[in-house]
Amino acid sequence: MPQFFLNKRLIILLVSIIILVALIGFSIRERDELSWTEKFVKDTTGFVQSLVATPTQYVIGIFENMKDLQNTYEENKELKKHLEDMARLEAKVYSLEKENAELTEILEIEGSIGDYAPMQATVISRSPDRLWHEMIIVNKGSSHGVEKNMAVMTARGLIGKVKSTTPFTSTIQLLSALDPTNRISAALQGDKKLFGTIEGYDKENEWLLLKGLPVDAEIEVDQMVVTSGLGGVFPGDVPVGKVIEVVPDQFGLNQTAYIKPEADFYNIEHVMILTRGMAIPEQIENDEENEEEDL
Amino acid sequence: MKRFLIPLLLIFLFVFEGLFTQLFPADLFNGDYIFVPRFLIIAIFFLAIYGSGKHGIIYGFVFGLVFDMVYIEVIGIYLFLFPLATYLFLTIMKVIQTNIVLVSFVSLLSIAFLEGSVYFMNLLIDITDLDFTSFSEIRLVPTLILNLIFIMIAAYPFKRQFEKFADALRND
Repeated sequence: MPQFFLNKRLIILLVSIIILVALIGFSIRERDELSWTEKFVKDTTGFVQSLVATPTQYVIGIFENMKDLQNTYEENKELKKHLEDMARLEAKVYSLEKENAELTEILEIEGSIGDYAPMQATVISRSPDRLWHEMIIVNKGSSHGVEKNMAVMTARGLIGKVKSTTPFTSTIQLLSALDPTNRISAALQGDKKLFGTIEGYDKENEWLLLKGLPVDAEIEVDQMVVTSGLGGVFPGDVPVGKVIEVVPDQFGLNQTAYIKPEADFYNIEHVMILTRGMAIPEQIENDEENEEEDL
Repeated sequence: MKRFLIPLLLIFLFVFEGLFTQLFPADLFNGDYIFVPRFLIIAIFFLAIYGSGKHGIIYGFVFGLVFDMVYIEVIGIYLFLFPLATYLFLTIMKVIQTNIVLVSFVSLLSIAFLEGSVYFMNLLIDITDLDFTSFSEIRLVPTLILNLIFIMIAAYPFKRQFEKFADALRND
């Protein structure tokens, strides 16, 4: 059959397109866990990546230290100014914390939504396919207690959430990803807490979008935005950013606030993965999962 | 030892791409542009043309799969596009002569094809809703510039290495 051999390439192409569609369909859906093959491959490459990343980061650290030395004098001046304030603040925080502890004891509240235990992790790699997939890979995995959907922050603020875990590594999706399913429940700190969801990223200005704020709310520029802790997995009161601008949304029913993120999404070396301190009752957790699906 | 040289080189480039993205000063030019390293596929192109075409496509397939698993978690995109881009590259190279400048130019062209296809696939599966003009401004052009620089540095060493590999294959 000469006709068949002529079309051999065409058949290969068609078959591979079918396989491609099936594979993409399989992997793009919401998965609780990666398959064991993916875990194995990710762990193996994670091992190689950390082998390479550790010495490089050490060398780069030396260069950065040298760069820091250059502006030590000016930084020192600045820091001294802050330091005078520091002592006063420290005393205040101490007394407030003590007062808080006493009051919660009187009220018999067990834990707060804002409690969390941070876990240190080092970035070993970043997805080269930036713009489509803003992801970093860190060296702590499910064997260290990392779970899917946990909040991840740097010292300055929230940067993203855990997308998937393998025994020794985990992948973190940054807030700057264009993925429309990347949503986080957040709150505006003010006299009255206002709740909304962070969804979407303005690539041009590097702002996050806080949507779903009530239309009659008065929102000021420079108000702090924190996580609300209502999502069930994220702890509350993790700083996200500051309000830059408020605009009414498309239909005029809600307001959208543009937020300048506190954290830097570019130069991330060390991250903290946050484990929520307060336990969630099993039933509520299930309900919330259902609600998320409804969304 | 010699037999493992090429897989080792490709594995190194694979890991290096991730590390490069991590360490590259992304706030260069205000962070407006995104430079995607495509060093691995450049090496595969050069392997395909100077070494053996069959090996090139097979390596493209394997590393495409690993790339999908590790870096993007959507299996299929690079698994399909790495071999396809290599195949396309080889088809173009059949018509024109194997001159190192031309090879470099066609590699760059194939990278543009790869980037464009990845963009359309992501558009198709709803990962992005960016329009083509912004895509080419933010990502495509800077990526091509970065990879052109890499090709200029690496083209000659790659050529020598893969020609040695081709000789070894012939002698077997």
